[in-house]
Amino acid sequence: MSARSNWATVRSERGRARRLGHLAALLRPYRGRVALMFITLVVAVAAALAPAYLAGRAIDAGIRDRDTEALTWIMIAFLGAALVNFGATYAQTYLTSWVGQRALQDLRRQIFRHLQRLSIGFYSRNKSGVLISRMTNDVQALDQLVTDGIVTLFSASLTLLGTAAILLALDVKLALITFSVFPVLAIASFAFRVASADAYKATREKIASITSYLQETLSGVRIVRAFGQEPRHERQFKGLNDENRDANMKTVYLNAAYFPSVELLSAVATAVILVFGGNEVINGAVSIGVLASFVFYLATFFDPIQQLSQLYTTYQSGMAALDKIFGLLDEEPELEDAPDAIELPPVKGEIAFEGVDFSYGGEGGDVLHGIDLHVPPGQTVALVGATGAGKSTLAKLVARFYDPTAGRIAIDGHDLRKVTEHSLRSQLGTVPQEGFLFSGTIGENIGFGRPDATGEEIEAAARAVGASEFIERLPDGYDTEVGERGGHLSAGQRQLVAFARAAAADPRVLILDEATSNVDVATEARIEHGLRRLLAGRTAIVIAHRLSTIQDAGRIVVLEHGRIAEQGTHDELLAAGGAYARLYEDWARQTAA
Amino acid sequence: MKVFRRLLGFLRPYRGGVFASLLLAAAAMGTGVLIPFLIGRTIDDIRDGGDALWLLGGVMVAAGVLRLAFSVVRRLVAGRVSLGVEFDLRNMMYRHLQSLELGFFDGQQTGQLMSRSTVDLQSVRFFLGYGLIFMMQALLTIVIAAAVMIAVNPTLAAVALAPMPLVIWAAARYGRLNRPASQEVQQRIAELTAEAEENVGGVRVVKAFAQERRQVRRFNQAVTRVFDQSMVSTRLRAFYNPFIGFLPQLGLAAILLVGGRQAINGTITVGDFVAFYGYVVMLTGPMRMLGVSLGMAQRAVASGNRVFEILDREPRLTAPVGAEPLPDGGGRVQMRGVSFGYDDGTEVLREVDLDVPAGGTVAVVGATGSGKSTLVMLIPRLYDVDQGEVLIDGVDVRDVDMASLRHEIAFVSDDAFLFSATLRENIAYARPDASDEDVEDAAHRAGLAEVVAELPDGYDTLVGERGLTLSGGQRQRVAIARALLAAPRVLILDDATSSVDATTESRIKEALGEVMEGRTTFVIAHRMSTISLADEVIVLEDGRIAAHGSHDELVEQSPLYREIAQRGLPDPQLVAAADAGREASGL
Repeated sequence: MSARSNWATVRSERGRARRLGHLAALLRPYRGRVALMFITLVVAVAAALAPAYLAGRAIDAGIRDRDTEALTWIMIAFLGAALVNFGATYAQTYLTSWVGQRALQDLRRQIFRHLQRLSIGFYSRNKSGVLISRMTNDVQALDQLVTDGIVTLFSASLTLLGTAAILLALDVKLALITFSVFPVLAIASFAFRVASADAYKATREKIASITSYLQETLSGVRIVRAFGQEPRHERQFKGLNDENRDANMKTVYLNAAYFPSVELLSAVATAVILVFGGNEVINGAVSIGVLASFVFYLATFFDPIQQLSQLYTTYQSGMAALDKIFGLLDEEPELEDAPDAIELPPVKGEIAFEGVDFSYGGEGGDVLHGIDLHVPPGQTVALVGATGAGKSTLAKLVARFYDPTAGRIAIDGHDLRKVTEHSLRSQLGTVPQEGFLFSGTIGENIGFGRPDATGEEIEAAARAVGASEFIERLPDGYDTEVGERGGHLSAGQRQLVAFARAAAADPRVLILDEATSNVDVATEARIEHGLRRLLAGRTAIVIAHRLSTIQDAGRIVVLEHGRIAEQGTHDELLAAGGAYARLYEDWARQTAA
Repeated sequence: MKVFRRLLGFLRPYRGGVFASLLLAAAAMGTGVLIPFLIGRTIDDIRDGGDALWLLGGVMVAAGVLRLAFSVVRRLVAGRVSLGVEFDLRNMMYRHLQSLELGFFDGQQTGQLMSRSTVDLQSVRFFLGYGLIFMMQALLTIVIAAAVMIAVNPTLAAVALAPMPLVIWAAARYGRLNRPASQEVQQRIAELTAEAEENVGGVRVVKAFAQERRQVRRFNQAVTRVFDQSMVSTRLRAFYNPFIGFLPQLGLAAILLVGGRQAINGTITVGDFVAFYGYVVMLTGPMRMLGVSLGMAQRAVASGNRVFEILDREPRLTAPVGAEPLPDGGGRVQMRGVSFGYDDGTEVLREVDLDVPAGGTVAVVGATGSGKSTLVMLIPRLYDVDQGEVLIDGVDVRDVDMASLRHEIAFVSDDAFLFSATLRENIAYARPDASDEDVEDAAHRAGLAEVVAELPDGYDTLVGERGLTLSGGQRQRVAIARALLAAPRVLILDDATSSVDATTESRIKEALGEVMEGRTTFVIAHRMSTISLADEVIVLEDGRIAAHGSHDELVEQSPLYREIAQRGLPDPQLVAAADAGREASGL
């Protein structure tokens, strides 16, 4: 594990350049627009540099020479430059945003496609919130880098260079005096950015903890009221609020030190230029218009330096996001089709486990040991055992969500590792425990595994598992929106829809995790009935919680600590008086109580 | 305007600070305006031979230093004011929310309340904290600079300043247009996030049905919608930003044309010409800021309205002033002629009479929506009855101190809400001062010990939303331990075994038996095994007590109970109805 993380650090340092390269590759399809964007940017910067120079010319060529015609022409040039700046900035902003958004859109799609390729093991190791934020927050942070960052970098640098060139062309000596403030300002600005990056990070963290505290006490308001703990929460909230104020006060101090200082520096620089330049004018070395141009340029000379210093924060958070995103994109799918994988031909549904061991890796040790199990086509196998006995792991191996660490699993004699994932899964049906549904209509959810299913086929599937009754009673029938994660339906209804979804896919092999949630007896009966219809004629591996399912199963497999403790029919196992008999007693007691 | 004035009221405690920062801003802006003026004078002095060159340079530096001093102090004072306002507002809002009764929260979505206490609060505090000061500062700068310009030359001042109101207008208009556009972008991003969440959450289903490609297609559509909306917002930004930059250039061009001619005529000096140019450049920022702050003010009033809606909502459930704490007793619970309905007008309980002796255990059964959860919530006075009275140890719950009442009643709710805190803190929720031994004892009795043994940091493991996720059964046992430690007189259990397997269920049952010892207990029961814990059963039907008695008596007397006992609970409505939602999210 630690060797792996060391390797990751080495790779991330080496990977920076590669990742920036990858970022550039995202822009490649739009290189025509990128080129145009740079042209408009150069034009806009050039046009923005003109006014201060022209104002100086107005003094020399217009006022000093008493030439009103020249004055008019200068004014026209001045307005022209302003209009060009307007137009070019418009085009540049639009193009930058267009290209940036397009590239990020591509990146989001790339991340999502990649996520779809990754195996279940990856999802169990990573919190879903983190994965989601790769596609949302992290891409957003890159947006800053790509659109604001790149534009600022180029336009501020160009402005700085352009101003410097013009000042040097106007008067070398005054230009050099002006440049002397540059290092002072640059150092102060970067020091400020570094300090304030931390300070602002602290404020974001504080406000985030206030928000989540608020969220939590609002969603837990019943508990708060029921236990009468309001004063305590008020105190804690006030404490967080206090911390937030202190963190913000730091940014106030930093801003109060920096911004007025920059203003002072600007005033001092202007005074110095006026005094030295004034003497030059009196000596006749410099014209009054040139001196005025210097003063005008000074008014905006500091802006690009401040903008460049802001890039520090943008670059930092952008690179952090880039690292995270490419950390995800570099993640290799653990299970990929073997190069010589074949399409699994239509199966009868015979499943065989031969000496299967499995471990999730890490410190957990083996979850399954030495599993030998042979399921003839059409049989229902009920997996029974305590939480953590390995029931769901065993079921997941059949769908090849993981590969066994030892031994082999075969369907109709085909080793799962030798067939393509798609051909395998399209012949399997899975009913997850809580009947996870996707937002959309009931009909769409039933047809999930077979997007080409007709309306009749969907209704037939719903009828087959007894879901049609409740669906048809809904005002919108099959067109009823189920809401996010199926939230508009009750737990029992979600189960029935999940059954119908599996039935519509009409798989030869069914893997089913029975729900444990408490539904009322009538729904329970409906679910039992639906389940029986769904299981009929298919090979099924059922993680069973219902006594009826277990009793009806062709075979019961009792798992204990990852081993098959016993297997057989209900009657056989009861007669044997082993682990199953003890479990059964528990149930019986509860139901009778 | 009324709202605006009320908003300003939040500044009252900081009158001194606000006043000082305005004075300091005026001083800083005054010295700021001095600088272009001095530049102009210096230019003229240079033309006249430069006698006072060093002096003017020195004065300019002195003005700069003075401005620095004023600005630094102003920023410190104003920063303190704005953070103070923010602090007060947020505390006030939170305190107020905590003072409101549960009924208020039933009618509100958490998301709505969150948005009022974050987004709306933010726009109010931005305006009061920064916007108002920016606005004043911008106005001061404009007034001072305009006054100086008019004093020097009214004609030139008029043409140079003519485009400036347009800057304010354009900045305010941009703010108004861009806000909905960018909110719409946020909305689309939220949709994209929801799409991603659903996919990550449902990845097992996607993989199991080999539907990766279809999900990619769906996601791509969401991505495209984000792009399209971003471009709407971009077009606004691409136009208004350079447009607002362009407008002052018109004023500058006017100075070149008109001022240049005046300088040739000698109406103004070259120094004046340079100073005017400087003023217009200097005013661009404040003009823009004024437009932005006008937008902020509008938003603050709209947000203020929503914030006041909450702050003006009086707590409806309060104890009389100087109410005595609940007197000692064994926990006898009586209801006399209790009727109750939620604010939406539906009557949930009708004429309920009930007398549970101290230490007794009552199971409450009935269909979804029959009023079970509501009935038990009246005991700790989470709601007030519409008619009749609820008595604990002979005292009306409305007459006693609320904290003392609720400390004597503990809930184990169906959803077993845990806070993002350590396991220890969650167990000790009702008694934060409980000793470690007490906490561990409660955990033992709730059957939590084995769970704790497996946690990485034992009792110090962070649980809840931002911590380790516990299973439903584990959470239930934490909730039981929490109730145990509260050592209440009356215990209320909502059938706490809905999402656990049979083995865990029997373990929880044992723990429950332990907790119920020696207290008055109400159990909302869904299963026979839970009902069997009770001495007496109450059958609720449509908010009335349809029958009550022991299990055996009821089997004989109540057909409804017989049906429940044989078949389980009656079929609730299939479509999750509003009151089912309330029950599900309730206690």
